[in-house]
Amino acid sequence: MTAITEFSIAVQKRVGRQRLLKAFKVLLGSVPFIFLIILWELNTQFVWFDPIEIPPLSDVWGAIFFLQSDCPGFVAAMQQHNDCNLTNNIMSSLGRVILAGVVGIPLGIAFGILAGMNRTISGYLEPVGIFMNSVSGIAWIPLAIVWFGVGWETTLFIMLNTIFWLIFFNTMMGVRAVPKVLVQGVQTLGGSYYDTIKHVYLPGAMPSVITGMRMSLGFGWRALIAAEMIGGDSGLGFMIFVSAVEFKTEEVFLGVILISLIYLISDRYMLVPLEKWTIERWGLVWKPT
Amino acid sequence: MTSIDLQQARLFKWKKFATEGAGRLIIFLVGSIILWWLISAFLIERPDRYLPSPLSVVLSSADMLYKGSLISFYSDTLIRLVIGGAVGIAIGIPVGLALGLNRFVADMFYPLMNFFQSVSGIAIFPVIVIWFGNSDTTVLIVILYTSFFPIAFNVLSGVRSVPVRYIQAARTLGASRFQVVRDVLLPGAMPSIAVGTRLSIGFAWRAVIAGEMLAGRPGLGNMIFSGQEFDNTAQILLGMVMIGVTWIVLDHFLLRPLESDTIERWGLVQR
Amino acid sequence: MSGEAKLIIQDLCHHYPDEYTGESVHALEGINLQVYENEFVAIVGPSGCGKTTLLNIVAGLLPYREGRAMVDGNEIHGPGPDRGVVFQEHAILPWRSVARNIGHGLELQRVPKEETRRRVQEYIDLVGLSGFEDRYPHELSGGMKQRVAVARTLCADPVIMLMDEPFAAVDAQTRITLQDELNRIVMATAKTILFITHSVEEAAFLGDRCIVFSRRPGQIKTEIKIDIPREERVWKDMASNPKFTNARDEILRLVRQEVTSDDEH
Repeated sequence: MTAITEFSIAVQKRVGRQRLLKAFKVLLGSVPFIFLIILWELNTQFVWFDPIEIPPLSDVWGAIFFLQSDCPGFVAAMQQHNDCNLTNNIMSSLGRVILAGVVGIPLGIAFGILAGMNRTISGYLEPVGIFMNSVSGIAWIPLAIVWFGVGWETTLFIMLNTIFWLIFFNTMMGVRAVPKVLVQGVQTLGGSYYDTIKHVYLPGAMPSVITGMRMSLGFGWRALIAAEMIGGDSGLGFMIFVSAVEFKTEEVFLGVILISLIYLISDRYMLVPLEKWTIERWGLVWKPT
Repeated sequence: MTSIDLQQARLFKWKKFATEGAGRLIIFLVGSIILWWLISAFLIERPDRYLPSPLSVVLSSADMLYKGSLISFYSDTLIRLVIGGAVGIAIGIPVGLALGLNRFVADMFYPLMNFFQSVSGIAIFPVIVIWFGNSDTTVLIVILYTSFFPIAFNVLSGVRSVPVRYIQAARTLGASRFQVVRDVLLPGAMPSIAVGTRLSIGFAWRAVIAGEMLAGRPGLGNMIFSGQEFDNTAQILLGMVMIGVTWIVLDHFLLRPLESDTIERWGLVQR
Repeated sequence: MSGEAKLIIQDLCHHYPDEYTGESVHALEGINLQVYENEFVAIVGPSGCGKTTLLNIVAGLLPYREGRAMVDGNEIHGPGPDRGVVFQEHAILPWRSVARNIGHGLELQRVPKEETRRRVQEYIDLVGLSGFEDRYPHELSGGMKQRVAVARTLCADPVIMLMDEPFAAVDAQTRITLQDELNRIVMATAKTILFITHSVEEAAFLGDRCIVFSRRPGQIKTEIKIDIPREERVWKDMASNPKFTNARDEILRLVRQEVTSDDEH
């Protein structure tokens, strides 16, 4: 017993208590994952549930290679070769997110700033924003199909629509919350109308814009997957929907895991650090969510 | 007061009415309906298909009301929301409490819950369909799944935010572990429970619409979907307006007041 | 005080509609005022007497219709870099470092980078913020933020510097230090200053001339010259300087008249 205690003290001294605690936390957190995977494997052994309901882990892994089986190679996959099924669907979904972001974010910011600078205009546009954000992105899918037909235009529209209204609304509210005295300060330093936008309103609304971006990704990604299922002809949502109809459950599982991982990584490792950085730099307190 | 002053005061009153509160809302509503009508009448080539006028949406609602389908769709959706949301919250609160009470348990299950939270209800929909078919159960499970996480995470952080001093004070008064939970931690977490409830219902609302659409169960989601299938765009617009308005009413007249009242009454931090 | 008048205000009146009732509020009535080069004019009066309204008009933040207001011979239309303002709520930008805040005016006027850097350093040293160049406002105390605001305004080299109760939001100890320092800065830079305050002591301590405002509608009630050389204006000596105490007591009496007549009203 004393030997163990001494050993643990020695380890603590070497590695540092904080680091050790962190490692222990990671270890502890992985226990349920390992447990789930063991259960999953046991199910494969004892077949409590049919493979059609819960496919073996190895089949899910194998689905990657099955979907990519005719793909000539990495370069061909990047060029969206016809036979690279999985990568094509991933890139199709990601491409829409990026395209919608590139178009929707600047547009939302521009309109949000213009509306937010004027109290009367923003007063009228606030209910528009509230209503548009209340009709969730998913509810637009049937109308989008009527307008654009089944295909990439519909799915892109759903993503763009969700992003635009969230960014617009958040920017407008952010601009409205910028203290007037900051604007006056820049004006008395000789700043023009354009200078007040560039130096005060835009940076002042930044934390709110980035929160809007996180919300956009959260809601938009969900809406996009739904849109691909109902009104799309490519993308991860389309893939899992078709696979489910064909009862290829292993492909559905693979798709679901990929959808979650893409969201998790882009939120935790791109948007959260960005949000944390702006909010702290702006002198506000960041609360982890 | 001179007549010019009176005139000015009258103008000011109008300006105030037009730019604030109810007056602004009325002007906004009337304005947007007129705008919608103008666009549909003059800008769209085949308005019946692409953007029916407000009048045809009203007519379509009268038609559906007469047939009785509108009320039944609406109540189906609301019942699903209430059942799914209530069960999700009823499971979420104790789970959040359990995680908040014990650091060991929290460290153990937090990453797992975090992972499953990012697996959205819509993404697991095909899996649930394989398990339970295109049934009401499927829709309810998706609603329950989406509404569970926001409340659980909020209760967890709410319990954590209760100052240790309060717990110590209760302990020195001779409170048992159960009594501490009942008298200190639960009331202390009340504001977070309210915030989480609002979030959960918000997510659940989206999930209901998506679930009904995908599973083809009768309800508002299915109503707009079948509107698209049967080329009845007025029905789609009617459904969308109802979805939006229902959420605004629910949020502004039920959930937000509930949230702010709870925060005011139980809040440790004045906001 | 000699030299040319930098700020000239003639027969200035101002009305504005009340935010809630819409009734016309009479804020300023027949203001005539001149501020000469290198002069420090302090305006003191009870709260709500319209002194901030006057400053906002001079700053160009509030349009006026009756009367005239000119800076350096030019009629005032909107805000401009010739009138720098130090606000009560230190209006420095939270997302800019100390150095970038101080250099902001020059940046807006497209002054070359090298020149900007030199002048920013000069004013950082002047207000005693050396070593804090790369800090952000939220890392500074209230007093330090106000120093940044003063340096930012001075660095843009305005014709006249307007100060709107700049030390009202800091604690008593810091206020005394900042007042001493402002004196030092005024000596070093020879600026023309219009200073708004509700503190009689502050007005008497800093001003070459104190203008006492009546309560609303704001009018100039009296003007008191305080003939103490800048070098002698240090708190540890001033408390016993009879010129200072006399002026202070006189202003106090005038302001108190306004306040008590307000009570009777």
